[in-house]
Order: sequence, then structure tokens, then C-alpha cells
Amino acid sequence: MTDNVKSQLIIILDTNPVWWGHKPSSHTKAQQKMTLTECLNSVMVFAHSHLMMNHSNKLAIIAAHSDQSVFLYPKNDPTVHVISEADEVTEGTDGKYELFNQVDKQIKEGIKNLIDNCMNGQLYPDSLVAGALAMALCHINKTERSHEEAGILSSRILVIKGSEDNTEQYMNLMNAVFTAQKQNVVIDACVLDNESGLLQQACDITGGIYLKIPQMKGLLQYLMWVFLPDPLERPKLTLPPKVQVDYRAACFCHRNLIDIGYVCSVCLSIFCAFSPICGTCQTTFKIFGPPKGVKKKSKKLG
Amino acid sequence: MAEEEEKGYRWETEYERTWEAIQEDEKGSLQASVDDIISKAKKRKLLEKIKNVRLGMMRHLFLIIDMSEAMSDQDLKPTRLLSTLKLLEYFVEEYFDQNPISQLGIIITKNKRAEKVSELGGNPRRHITTLQSLADKVCHGEPSLQNSLELAHQTLRHMPGHASREVLVVMGSLTTCDPDNIISTISMLRDGNVRCSVIGLAAEVCVCKKLCKETHGSYSVILDECHFKDLLTQHVTPPPATASTESSLIRMGFPHHQLSADKEERPSMCMCHLDSKNSQGFSSTGYFCPQCKSKYCELPIECKACGLTLVSAPHLARSYHHLFPLDQFREIPTAQVGSNVLCFSCQTAVQELNVYICDNCERIYCLDCDLFIHETLHSCPGCASSRQTQQSAKMAGFS
Repeated sequence: MTDNVKSQLIIILDTNPVWWGHKPSSHTKAQQKMTLTECLNSVMVFAHSHLMMNHSNKLAIIAAHSDQSVFLYPKNDPTVHVISEADEVTEGTDGKYELFNQVDKQIKEGIKNLIDNCMNGQLYPDSLVAGALAMALCHINKTERSHEEAGILSSRILVIKGSEDNTEQYMNLMNAVFTAQKQNVVIDACVLDNESGLLQQACDITGGIYLKIPQMKGLLQYLMWVFLPDPLERPKLTLPPKVQVDYRAACFCHRNLIDIGYVCSVCLSIFCAFSPICGTCQTTFKIFGPPKGVKKKSKKLG
Repeated sequence: MAEEEEKGYRWETEYERTWEAIQEDEKGSLQASVDDIISKAKKRKLLEKIKNVRLGMMRHLFLIIDMSEAMSDQDLKPTRLLSTLKLLEYFVEEYFDQNPISQLGIIITKNKRAEKVSELGGNPRRHITTLQSLADKVCHGEPSLQNSLELAHQTLRHMPGHASREVLVVMGSLTTCDPDNIISTISMLRDGNVRCSVIGLAAEVCVCKKLCKETHGSYSVILDECHFKDLLTQHVTPPPATASTESSLIRMGFPHHQLSADKEERPSMCMCHLDSKNSQGFSSTGYFCPQCKSKYCELPIECKACGLTLVSAPHLARSYHHLFPLDQFREIPTAQVGSNVLCFSCQTAVQELNVYICDNCERIYCLDCDLFIHETLHSCPGCASSRQTQQSAKMAGFS
């Protein structure tokens, strides 16, 4: 029965100050762009909906910032609890479900802290999603382990991202993606602005949905329709078609995307042209490399 | 006689007085000691890894499975053969997960003969179906180590110089029936740069030990099924390359994936399913070789038409963690960090006696996360979420 299948959702929210703070130049774009507050509201409603789907559903929210990744919820910091309890008395919950109240409060608190603290130090236009993914996977590993007796816990990760890709994160991101694939964790991506080649690969490998939303104002609707259903229920729905994923490799020497390249047998670096010394591991190759290879191939054919 | 029975055998003494290692804490609980033993056992596997060694990344491995009468013994449940096949299925899956551009072949030996049941190839599913079909076969006669090694060598010797040539023998029998002098075969394998490893299911055999020693492989005899699995797992990670392994640049193709939706292309047959009788492989989607435009339904594969190795970038990325392993975390007592310590990555309060600190980003992790990070994830969440520390391999040119 579906009763003992709980689902756990980890939302990774890109809170990059450069991207969210960027003022669009043209007037038409200004209407489309949403503020972080609006986005947060949508995410909170989405989080509530997920928790409402099943009583035992689990939730975690991680903020991927320009220079750090922080858990917004659940937050196990004892100092935060004290503050929120004090607030509750003055504010009043107005009959709201306590769990929702707690979720909202912790998210707001977390974001506020994050924004207050990010002013010192350099800002970058891209967020460190790979770190947040790695944290999410550790969290999933831990919760799934502690839930072994209590039934199956199916987990998925949703990345909501607006800022650019960081190519330096390729290795960390790929490690996280392969781990997710191994642990049967689906990675979904809801991209607000810049198409993300890395997330496309991540979603394709783990079997998740990649969607660049056409209307930013309609974020909540996309979240509700596309990303709320559990992966088990998805085959029954008509979801946006899969995007074409570019799996071509970029060569290490010029960062060009290539169709045919040369791979070093020692360190697996990719080069677009033959060179006698590997630029990554400094191995010297045999000079007669390529002609011999060609000859061998023709022999094999014959 | 009665006295002898009580003493047990000499080789069982490892388990003597195990209770002395366990000590009660002040509350009289054994939990602390038990936790300690468990965590030590968990850590041991990780500490054995050696760093900064050139690895043979493109592996060509032949599995030699003993199917002689000895394999029908029931000391492993239900029988040695079935237990072995089940573990080997797991091994094959792990092998291709960790070594996506490597190849594997399967040879069985029974009735003094050797038979190649699965050609060297990169498709895990084919090997697994072969292994499953072996379960129905009867174990019969004596194995022949020499015949099977010769058969493996015949194929491996044609592999290019940069490839790592390996043989892994799972041997249940204590004897082997060989047509010729096996010592000459061993020296031939050594000269051919083939690394042979043997996992024995019964007891140590001198000829196997000699084979492994000469060819720089590893020889081990299993204690129980759990140990068997551990031993197989050791063979999943790529071994260090021998000095005579050549290094070269290999030409590879990175094909496009064509989806049916965007083009009015007619469906066609893919090259991998040409021989299949049913409609499998007949579709308009697929990967197209950038050199000759032959279609394949999955990667990695060697193009049947032009011989180009076809891979996708993630296949190569999957192997990078072998080359840039994550440093071990430093173990320190929890009390030293302070009370109420939170694990950075899972946000739970640390219950164990020790916490683990990454020397690079100085974040604190619990034991579960530490193991998960080193065994599966291979990248430190703390380092990955900070700009200064996010890339340990940056200097190596991966930027």
C-alpha cells in the first residue's frame, strides 16, 4: 500500500544576492522578474503542500548562496528555538498548523541571517549548488538510515536556481549526481532564468524533470503541477517533454565542446588535438601515437 | 580426544577471548565498546587506500569462474556456485559503475576444459544475464587453471598497451588438471603484463599463490560470505598500473543524443541490436557516432563500423574520483569540540564519541556522514560550498 511509502523532499533554493538583486534593464523584463520575497512565498506554499500530501512526509530546505550553503529547515540550532518560542507568544499563530508556522519562521529567519551576513566579502554571480547537493545527499542518507524500520522513504531533491552555472563545480556536482543515482534519489530542476547545462545532465542521469519556466511570475503554479507529484506518480501525468541534453565533453585545453577528442589514458583528461605531453598529468606519450592507432584500426577492420 | 575438541583448532584462536577487548563503562554499559569496535571496522577499509599512485584506468578484466565439482559444496549457502554467482552479479554492477570505460569477460572452467561464456565487452547487462544462466549448469569434473589462463591471455594479449590487463579467478577446487607445465604459463602472463588475482573458496593453494605473486596480483582465501564480498569489492577499484603499461592519447568520440520529437527522422535499427529477433532497438532515438554516423542505443561502446570508442562526458567524470581521492578526515573526540555538536552535512547532533574534521574546510561531520562521504560521495560538502576550498584538484588543471 502507499501508506507506508513516505516521501522526503529537499529543496535547494538559490539565494544568490547578485542574481536576485540584479535590476533588469528593459521595462518588459522588469514586469516579469520576481523578487526573492515572492519566490520565498511560493516556495513556502509549495513546502506546505508537500507536507500536506501525507502526514509523514518530510521536508528540508537548503539555501545555496554565493559563498556558502546553509540549512534553512530543519535547523537544529538551540538558540533559534528560543527566539521562535518567544515570538510565538507575541505574534500568535492564528489557528495555523504549528508545523507550517515553524517551517515558515525558520525559513524567514534563515534567509534574514543569510542576507545580513553576506554583505562583507566578495559576491559572485553564481551559486555553489554542488555543495548544497552534497549536503542534501548526506541528509538523505542519514534520514533514510534512521527510517529503515519505519517503512520506505523515497527521497528527491528539487533545485530552484536562477543564477549562472559555475563550471569549476563540475567535478563536485558530478560526484553528487552519481551518488544520487546510486541512492535512487531523483534530482529535479526548476530553472528561473539561465539555462543550466550542468543541471540538465544531473536531471537526465537521475531521471528527474528539468524545466526552465517560461513565466517567472507563475513559479508557484509550475511547482505545484510539475514538481509536487512523487516520481512514482509521474508516469501517470503528462509532464513537459524532456529536453535534449548535450553530453559532449569540453576539452581541458580550450574549453571547446568537441565531437571527437583525445583522452589521456593515465588521467582521462580530454584534449581537442594530439599533443605529446599531457597538460594535466605531464605524462609523455609515445610520439607515434596517432598513426599507429589508425593503422591498428584498419588492420582490425580487415 | 575430548580435550582436543574443547581446545578447538589452532586457526580458530583469532576468536579466543574476544570478551577481553570489551570493557564496561562507568554505568556498566557495553555500548561504548561495541560502538568503538564497529566504528574501527568501518574505518579500516578506508585507511587501506594508497594515494598518489598511477592507476590502470582502462581495465580489461577476465573473470574465471571455477565450475568444477568442488563448487557444488554446500559450505556457502545454498551452494558455493550459487553464492558466488550472486556476489559476482553485484561485482559486475559495481565494476561498471566505478570503471565505466573498462571491459569485462567471463570464462568458466570445468571438466578439465575452459570455455569463454562472455566475450570481453562493456555491457553489464549482457554479463549479468550470462551469470544468471550459469546458475542452471551442472558443476562437473576438475577445473583447469592453465587452460583458462591461456584462454584469457589469448584475448588480453591483443589489447592495446595502455590498457590494464587483469584476470580474477574464483577457485573452489583445491586441485587443477593441466595439460602442460603451468609455471611456463605463469611466466608468459607475467611477460604479457597480465595481473592475476585469485580468490580461493577452500584453502590456500601453492600454485595460485605463486601465480599471484609473479603477476603482482593479490591472493586471498575467504573466511565466510561477508569476507568474500569484501574481497570482491577490493577488486572494484582500479589497481595501480605496472611500470610497463604504456601511456597514450586515445581517440574517442562524444556522440549526440538524438530525440525523436524534434526531427522528422525515420526510425532505424541501432547497431547493438542488429542481431536481435524482436523489435528491440528499432526507434528514432539514439546516439550517433560522430565519425561514421552509426546509431547506438547506449554508451559507452566501441563503434562496430569504424572502431572509435564512444563515450559521454559523465562516463569519464565517473572515474575522476579515483584519480583525486578525498583526503581522510581528522578524528577528534567530541568532548574536545564542545557540547551539542551538530554535523555540518546532516544537521543532527553527534551522538558518537568521535567527530571527524575536514582539514581543508574545518567542518565537523559525524561518523555516518564521514563514511558516506568517503565511500560514496567522494567530495566534501563543506569544501564544495566554499569558494576557496571547492576544488582540491584545481592545481591539476580541472578548472
